[in-house]
Amino acid sequence: MKFFAVRAGSIALAVAACFALQSFAVGKGDLFFRLVFLAGLYVTLAVSLNLINGITGQFSIGHAAFYMVGAYGAGYMANNYAGSWGLKGPLLMLVLLLIGAVVAAVAGLVVGLPSLRLRGDYLAVVTLGFGEIIRIFVQNSPPLGGAYGLTVDAQFKFKYVWMVWLLAILCIAVCRNLLKSAHGLPFLAVREDEIASSAMGVNVTRVKVTAFVIGSAFAGAAGAMLANFDGFISPTSFPMELSFTILTMVVLGGTGSITGSALAGGVLFYIPEYLRDLKPVSGSSLVAAVIAVIAAVYVVKRIADHYHGDKGKRAALYLGTIIAGVALQMILAAVFKNVPSLANANFEASKLRMVIFSSTLIILMLLRPQGVFAHHEFSWSWVQRLFGKKVPTTAVSV
Amino acid sequence: MSLLHLDKATIKFGGLIAVNEVSFEIKTGQLFGLIGPNGAGKTTCFNLITGVYKPTSGSIKFEGREISGTPPNKIAHLGIARTFQNIRLFGALSVLENVVVGGFLRHRTGLGSAIAYLPPAIKETEELKQDAMRLLEVVDLAHVANVRSRDLSYGMQRRLEIARAMATQPKLLLLDEPAAGMNPQEKMDLTGTVRRIRDEHDKTVLLIEHDMRFVMELCENIVVLDHGEEIAQGPPSEIRNDPKVIEAYLGEAV
Ligand SMILES: Nc1ncnc2c1ncn2[C@@H]1O[C@H](COP(=O)(O)OP(=O)(O)OP(=O)(O)O)[C@@H](O)[C@H]1O
Ligand SMILES: [Mg+2]
Repeated sequence: MKFFAVRAGSIALAVAACFALQSFAVGKGDLFFRLVFLAGLYVTLAVSLNLINGITGQFSIGHAAFYMVGAYGAGYMANNYAGSWGLKGPLLMLVLLLIGAVVAAVAGLVVGLPSLRLRGDYLAVVTLGFGEIIRIFVQNSPPLGGAYGLTVDAQFKFKYVWMVWLLAILCIAVCRNLLKSAHGLPFLAVREDEIASSAMGVNVTRVKVTAFVIGSAFAGAAGAMLANFDGFISPTSFPMELSFTILTMVVLGGTGSITGSALAGGVLFYIPEYLRDLKPVSGSSLVAAVIAVIAAVYVVKRIADHYHGDKGKRAALYLGTIIAGVALQMILAAVFKNVPSLANANFEASKLRMVIFSSTLIILMLLRPQGVFAHHEFSWSWVQRLFGKKVPTTAVSV
Repeated sequence: MSLLHLDKATIKFGGLIAVNEVSFEIKTGQLFGLIGPNGAGKTTCFNLITGVYKPTSGSIKFEGREISGTPPNKIAHLGIARTFQNIRLFGALSVLENVVVGGFLRHRTGLGSAIAYLPPAIKETEELKQDAMRLLEVVDLAHVANVRSRDLSYGMQRRLEIARAMATQPKLLLLDEPAAGMNPQEKMDLTGTVRRIRDEHDKTVLLIEHDMRFVMELCENIVVLDHGEEIAQGPPSEIRNDPKVIEAYLGEAV
């Protein structure tokens, strides 16, 4: 009884938080609203790819294809059939979301079944190829709008930030629960050693396909949300780079870490988006930023290499370095303002955008090749330990 | 009763006949040894029995039922478990988790129950962990249950391989050089552990080992392979004095 009370409570809390986020974001303008929406999508995409690549150890590099399949599946069904279903609002969106998930899951099964039976990197090749095939197929398919894109009927446009965040939370919960129960172990075992797994009775192909289909289904659900949020999708919305961006999120967050991919998904997509709207930067702040970043990276690297003491203190040192870096940038910028040649030179941020984005990635990989979270997960006992509390490690850690 | 019966089992890799018409029969409850020089085909025999390879010809029967060509995961379900010569643990998983993977083949709850983290899956997870913990006690690894298996010492990793295989609750346990890399004290302890596995846990054991003292002391029956061929079979007392065996080992003390 207590179990179900707690469960109902946490679900209610999640729903409430998502609605609170929606009403908060609604008041902040269209652009911000869309960013909050996209953040939820990317969290879903990164966490679902992490299930395939990080937890089960397969190498899929075409996640955007399943996102696309879900988007087109839902968009097409909405335009052609949804009118006669007699559904409205959230319920209709939910059905469309399920359609996106199912279509992408079927695509995942078709792609995964033959390629996952084989060992090695066939999956990488096949998923990459699948992404291209799907895009070319859509480009040449008039019912799907071809190269011009598909406009989803205005009555099926749903601006549900809350729903996309519920989807993200569901995706995280599914992965988390899997790893908390013994059922998750075969997935990890397959990642570690396929031959030993099968000797222990694990049906390796089945485990891989299961992970692949679940991951694809979540990507498809995310696609359905996108199609019905923007009301317009086109093949160019799903370029190959998008797959690589999602992959980067997983690697950067720490392959296998749900927490890592969720955070990387939420943050990483935002960097280029944020830089897109950046005002031209004055030479003074740019030079200040470069100096501050180099200094901070240097200090962080020193700490990582030479300070092996208490984890909490080390985290505090990192945090201090980052704050000091920001402060340094501000101070230097203020100082450089007095240098006319710097203060008057303006750099267009849009041109620097990709440079900044890539250097961010390089710096992160330099400092932490295993990913920000490595294989760690967020948990309350972890937080408590971080703050120096002695928490008995549970007898069993899964 | 015959538990495992190889009848003229043969496998060719291209031109190489790695195992050539090997026949032997293991009875329930036996402690059986498989020996031979390097490259004799011992590990390949294990791979045939556990379904990693399908024999080119000949038959392998387990409990009277033909199992050649059955995939490894199904073989594990039938009741044959193995350890690996080149240790194959799930390195990033804890010692306990490794053993739980072995026990997982008896799970009853569905994936849905796990994904929703419902009481049946939670309960089952607890039970599997408790079973695993008991097995860790058998091989004396309970005190390192939460250590990452990659970080264990070599001897401990070998014992963990045994515990993981035991977790599948096999009828037949195949050990591929379980004492390799162990010091004399560890080998002594291992002898005791293998005996206990047979006597107290009612397992039939087939083991490959290069350490002759270890094999002769432990096994009641021995098959000797050389270049894929079976050259002798019998109790240790006979094997020790068999001229063919002495020749195959080129004067090594047998
Ligand atoms: N998959 C394979 N493909 C080709 N040749 C193989 C394969 N597996 C084994 N062999 C060959 O079969 C022969 C027997 O190998 P096996 O590993 O069974 O020997 P072994 O008796 O276990 O030796 P060791 O004591 O060194 O472990 C070797 O010559 C080996 O190279
Ligand atoms: Mg061998």
